[in-house]
Amino acid sequence: MAETFQLPPTSIEQFTLANGLRVVLNEDHSVPVVSVAVYYDVGSRNEKFGRTGFAHLFEHMMFQGSENVPKAAHFQYIFNAGGTMNGTTSTERTNYFETLPANHLPLALWLESDRMRSLKVTQENLDNQRHAVQEEKRLRYDNQPYVNAFLRINELIFKNPANAHSTIGSMEDLDAATIDDVREFFRIYYAPNNAVLTIAGDFERDEVRRLVELYFTDISSQPSPPPVDVSEPAEVAALQETFYDKLAPAPAFVLGWKIPARRTPEFYALSLASELLFEGDSSRLYQKLVKGDESVVSIQGGLDERRGPSALYIFALPKPGEDVATIRSQIFDEIRRLSTDGPTQPEMEKLRNSLCNDAVRGRQSTMYRAQRLSEYTLYDGDPNVFDAELDHYLSVTADQIKTVVNKYLNVDNRVVLDIVPEGSAEEPATTAASPQPPGEPKQPSAPAPQVPSRPSAQPPKTTEPEVVEIEGEKPHPEKPEQPADPPKHTRPGSGPLHP
Amino acid sequence: MNMSSTETVRQKPPPTLPARPIHIPRPFETTLSNGLQVVIVEDGRLPLISYRLTFRSGDAQDPTELPGLTDLMAGLLTEGTESRTSLEIADEVARIGASLTAGANSDYTTVASSSLANFSDLVLELMADVTLRPSFPENEVELSKQNTIESLKQQRAQPSFLATEVVSRVMYGEHPYSVVAPTPESITATTRDRLVSFRRARLIPNNAVLILVGDLKAEQVLKRIEQLFGEWTPGEIAVENFPAPPVRTSRSAYIVDRPGSAQSNIVIANAGMTRTSPDYFPMLLMHTVLGANASSRLFMNLREEKGYTYGAYSTLDARRSAGTFRASAEVRTPVTGDSLKEFFYELNRIRNEKVSQKEIDDAKSYLTGVFPIRLETQEGLIDQFVQIKMFGLPKDYLETYRDRVQAVNIDQIRDVASRYVTPDQAAIVIVGDGRHIIEQVEPYSGEIEFYNTAGKRKDRPSTAPPSAASISSIAGKWSLEIDTPLGQTIPAVLTVEELPTGLGGKVESEMGDAVLTSVELNQHEFTATLSFDMDGHTFDAQIAGEIAGNQMTGTISLQNTPPLSFHGAKE
Repeated sequence: MAETFQLPPTSIEQFTLANGLRVVLNEDHSVPVVSVAVYYDVGSRNEKFGRTGFAHLFEHMMFQGSENVPKAAHFQYIFNAGGTMNGTTSTERTNYFETLPANHLPLALWLESDRMRSLKVTQENLDNQRHAVQEEKRLRYDNQPYVNAFLRINELIFKNPANAHSTIGSMEDLDAATIDDVREFFRIYYAPNNAVLTIAGDFERDEVRRLVELYFTDISSQPSPPPVDVSEPAEVAALQETFYDKLAPAPAFVLGWKIPARRTPEFYALSLASELLFEGDSSRLYQKLVKGDESVVSIQGGLDERRGPSALYIFALPKPGEDVATIRSQIFDEIRRLSTDGPTQPEMEKLRNSLCNDAVRGRQSTMYRAQRLSEYTLYDGDPNVFDAELDHYLSVTADQIKTVVNKYLNVDNRVVLDIVPEGSAEEPATTAASPQPPGEPKQPSAPAPQVPSRPSAQPPKTTEPEVVEIEGEKPHPEKPEQPADPPKHTRPGSGPLHP
Repeated sequence: MNMSSTETVRQKPPPTLPARPIHIPRPFETTLSNGLQVVIVEDGRLPLISYRLTFRSGDAQDPTELPGLTDLMAGLLTEGTESRTSLEIADEVARIGASLTAGANSDYTTVASSSLANFSDLVLELMADVTLRPSFPENEVELSKQNTIESLKQQRAQPSFLATEVVSRVMYGEHPYSVVAPTPESITATTRDRLVSFRRARLIPNNAVLILVGDLKAEQVLKRIEQLFGEWTPGEIAVENFPAPPVRTSRSAYIVDRPGSAQSNIVIANAGMTRTSPDYFPMLLMHTVLGANASSRLFMNLREEKGYTYGAYSTLDARRSAGTFRASAEVRTPVTGDSLKEFFYELNRIRNEKVSQKEIDDAKSYLTGVFPIRLETQEGLIDQFVQIKMFGLPKDYLETYRDRVQAVNIDQIRDVASRYVTPDQAAIVIVGDGRHIIEQVEPYSGEIEFYNTAGKRKDRPSTAPPSAASISSIAGKWSLEIDTPLGQTIPAVLTVEELPTGLGGKVESEMGDAVLTSVELNQHEFTATLSFDMDGHTFDAQIAGEIAGNQMTGTISLQNTPPLSFHGAKE
């Protein structure tokens, strides 16, 4: 049946204002809810040497008030209306979004337009937010085991500095930021001609056009931002490295590969291969290492989906006493098996059904639609890719998966990053080819880095500070203290509300 | 349009548009001859279905001697049936891209699923199989028991759990809501036979509601439901004859002493109401003004103005047979007393003064605004139906929800606040560093009970300087064995010495050497910070120990991990 699966078509209308702002409307009257997403074409890929972390720092600045919106009032306006909001930064873009009851749509457009037009870029706000970002880095990166190793792996995979550095950036660069740098950054990148505005949900088309024009037409366009060069040689930057992590309670490792850009036939096939290898309890590596051998505590992986050369990672946290080199070669064996035998028929069926299920489930949410439509407009110049994308994935054959795994993953051109607890006497395997037994680990295992999971369908437990009632969810005020995005993967429907 | 009119328009937040109609789907409802209620909501927007099989029996129905039985039973439903192994169930669910889980809370048990519409026959069959024919395989029972015992240990590392444990015990007394977690003993004592008979007694059709929302035709799916669930034998519904929670007549405080804690978790609790109480909607509005969200009074005061905490909230916990109303925050230890002052200021203010027109308007805007957003997805919608059925809410609950919110007036808010917000009868529960907070708490409660992190009563920690006798009890060399979560032990040597500046010392182990700083001694208990130095960077852990003669037991807490327990003896 999956072969004949048809997604209900999404209503999409697109127009461009005279100042270059691309606007996408997705009208749907099923629930009186509306989501607004603004995507700016600026991410860490745009940052110059010596100015890393700017895109993310700027995301914070966007909540510091504008000509008519006082500092921090953004949250209050949205929460009082019963809505939710946030902003995030990745290598590719910076986004801001709100979900509101439909009749509050003008509020979101007012807030977004006012900061696009008249953000308060002041020395005081800059100092204050630079401080907040540094605090965030200490809390979410430097104070967490294994997280900084994940930042390091990008520097080992990518040779081009535009691709290699992290979105959180360097503290020295943030310290060096002057108010003029930041004003210039705002002028160049936060211009209407560098942004996409998407509105999804319950509205009348004429009304929404009138509102968009009212709030956004008087914002001046700017010259196009400088072009970005994300070109990469095929080789990874380094084959092997040891990362000493003072917070890591046990040895672990990350494997990294360089893979083709998003929306290429190879990328689609690799995305499905990665699902078979490490997504969920039925994946090959989970079944082999966590369930079967019980040799690892946790195995996770991800695709870093980019407009240019992208990446694929696998992280493994072995159980204490287990031989790291053996586990590593078992992972390579499983990859080799997939590259010679290809996926099984039941695996192909699983892929098809989960692709369809995720695509459909995601489409229920106005926020999911607003975000994906913005991405396709920004990256591909066409919001209609939203509906076309599922077919690209569904048409991948078992043979294609086999071929790309052989070409891109079953190769020596990949990174092995050993994470060793700092202060521990033990030395890691020096190379993947001639592994040394790592010996007995000296420390207990830690909980693995959290991966987002599907929201639970189960009733809230009373042992949590939660309420068992219809007004059940406690609103968590989300100050814009989001970490820069971890590597992620936006196949059709990696779940709604996972920006 | 010209520039200046746009600029004028920009100066103030824009008016809202006219409210748009909300379409609440009408459920089709019927009852099978065995008593199983069926609720079907046709929602054909997308080829998707959500499923819930819910039972009006939850943790509160656990046998007194076996807390945790309902949870354990529910968790094991998907771990094997008469015809499928655990792995076969997982594979089958994965193959069709669906989900299937089971779980419970204090009032109800749920088997939940979601799938593409065309798989509904198989999903319903899987739901029937795991509910009616679970086999509770010995190995899965054993694994689940071990995992539960492990997670009980992890829970005790969470201050929020410790707070909930004492709040529930104090507020509910003999009522079963007082028990929030099993004990390792009750889990160990649970047998497969007991799970089998308990499943048979509690998962009965005449106490259950099967709810389906999605792209389906009621008539067709009902036939399938009849086939799969029609033969299910009804049973006797256990009577919920719970003792009433105790009536509180005075204020008292309960401190869970967590030495070294950098924060105090404060919960101020009053008796509440059931979910179907006529006071519910006025309370909901009162709660929204006081503390439901980030623009409520508690948040604006304790976080935005005072900066004591990352967030301060109230909680309206209204369940099937009782409830509580609570105010809570995690605050920095030195401002524990100042935070209590602000909490009581706000509790008294909402009790004694009318809320403003703007506040009630904002609260109504918030509640009526959140409502449609919750209904946006099938999962959101089906959860509303689950609550309507499990709590016995009126049939027209969703249709009338916004009207009920709008109907509440300022006087009603004042009325419920005066009856349910009663600071003079409040229980103040604080999880924090006892020595450092006692004096801050005393002005707010004459009576204070103390607990340790195992949940047991303990003596009042002393705030006086340590006596010479207690110093000599700890000074010296201790051989310790530190237990890791994976069953290993790490040997370590703890040295404590009296220095001119106070107590000091070190811990030597394979994990590296650490210097003891901020050593505090309170009769036979001590706490200290362990500072490890690694290439010029230091990182800290907390150690807390209790001395009995020449024996010592305690915990070492590293960042982001559950505490490691240790025991040892003086050399």
